Amino acid sequence: MSETPSLWWIDWRLSRGTLARETIWRFLCFCLFGFALLSLLLSGGANRFLADRYAITAVLQADVPSAEAEGLARKVAALPPVRSAVYRDPEAAWKEFLKAYPGLEPLRAAGGNPLPGYIEVRFRHDRLTEGDVDLVASALRSVSRVDQVLAGEEWLPRFLRAGRYASWACWGLFGAILAGFFLVGRLQERGRAVAFAGDFSFLAERGIPAGRLALSRAAGAAVSGFLLAAAGAAAGGGALFLLLGKLPLLARMIGPPSDLLLPRTVASVVLFSCCAALLSAASSLLGGRAARSGRK
Amino acid sequence: MIEAFRLGVFSRGATLWDGLDFAFGDAAAWVVVGPPSSGKTLLLSILRGDRRPDAGDVVVSGESLFRGNAALARSYRASCGHVPEQTVTDARLTVGDLFRRSALVGFGVRESERKDRSDRLLAMVGVPGAWEWRIVEMSTSERVRTCLATELFRGPKVLFCDGAVAAAGMPYREMLWGLFRALAREGNTVVLAERTIPEDWAVASGAGLPVGPFRVYRLPVSDSKGNLG
Repeated sequence: MSETPSLWWIDWRLSRGTLARETIWRFLCFCLFGFALLSLLLSGGANRFLADRYAITAVLQADVPSAEAEGLARKVAALPPVRSAVYRDPEAAWKEFLKAYPGLEPLRAAGGNPLPGYIEVRFRHDRLTEGDVDLVASALRSVSRVDQVLAGEEWLPRFLRAGRYASWACWGLFGAILAGFFLVGRLQERGRAVAFAGDFSFLAERGIPAGRLALSRAAGAAVSGFLLAAAGAAAGGGALFLLLGKLPLLARMIGPPSDLLLPRTVASVVLFSCCAALLSAASSLLGGRAARSGRK
Repeated sequence: MIEAFRLGVFSRGATLWDGLDFAFGDAAAWVVVGPPSSGKTLLLSILRGDRRPDAGDVVVSGESLFRGNAALARSYRASCGHVPEQTVTDARLTVGDLFRRSALVGFGVRESERKDRSDRLLAMVGVPGAWEWRIVEMSTSERVRTCLATELFRGPKVLFCDGAVAAAGMPYREMLWGLFRALAREGNTVVLAERTIPEDWAVASGAGLPVGPFRVYRLPVSDSKGNLG
């Protein structure tokens, strides 16, 4: 017989039922975490929501021809922080005005369309910062055919600060729930170590060092933690993909489903799985140590 | 060969024993007899490498158990079987759990073989079909014999039994003697610690060698008629 027994998956070999229940519970939790993580990553907390709400309006002079205005809009759209820059001619502007303020048609009867054309500039959700807004607003103000730039600079800092706080709150809540999950995991590991105390002392009496046993259990916890986190995140990501495809309103707040397949999103999931593996190993080590010290 | 040199243990502010020498040769069954509280259990735990003596050393196959290579000491401990005096009392455990636990230490047994082999061992020690039995529901004799079966399951090179013969009871002494003889003939070492040695065993073993508070007997490997087979 082998004189150096393998301790790989020893918990599984000792108590399959308990570990199977814990594994199912953890997988379901990782599905939810994966869903939440990907939602937060894609939406950038509240950034995409804010970017959807915020726009700079560059009001053009009354005599700017459409072709020139559209050329200007294309140039603005080429700026790095800009997601879209759309020119609205005076007619479209008037229709929008009437839609917002119905019953004011008589204004036009006095002397034609009183509204000029304008360019509506929207930002990429990850570039909605004071610096980038200043950059685009300055660029627009330097153009002689632009009459006025409405960037809301007086309330923008508060708007962005509120967005930052909302993002931090979302990530903080996610982190707190994750920390709670691993705290429960540590308690489960401790409970299991106590339940297996007889088995572990049996092994220790037969020359298996407690350190080797703890490391083997931690390694098993790390591998299972990684696989469960990766599988859970993949399942959560799949659910999010389907939801974003069916609910356009959600897609506006979180992002398009195709963003889930971007390399940086996949890399984030791998990083999350690695962190879950490390935390699982730490839970196993700490839970085992607590069980040992509790018996003394 | 397990040798102990100048062994000493100091307990509760007094010397329990000191300067004891032992030599347990391979392919033999040994009985260490001593009165209650003389340190038999302690001696076995020292010989197993589980407890360091306060004085002296234990040498196994020429290598010190406590001052030599730690890996070799671990390997020796893994090759030992141990039937303790206080058997398992964990209410949740079944006999099958004990076999599973035993299999963790030695991995030569495949899952498919495990049940068949454990059934044969259980039948051999007189508790056939006990796989599903709960340990708490078994008598002391059944527990000891079951524990012996689970240790034999791994095929240990050295088997230590603490009070197993007395706990197993009169009807099983012949069976145990035959078993220990068979183990010794296969090249294993068996060390038993008992308060008294059964009379017929003592007759077959001779007077025994006095060592401190103990008397050490070497059981004859051949049967009572002198046959080896």
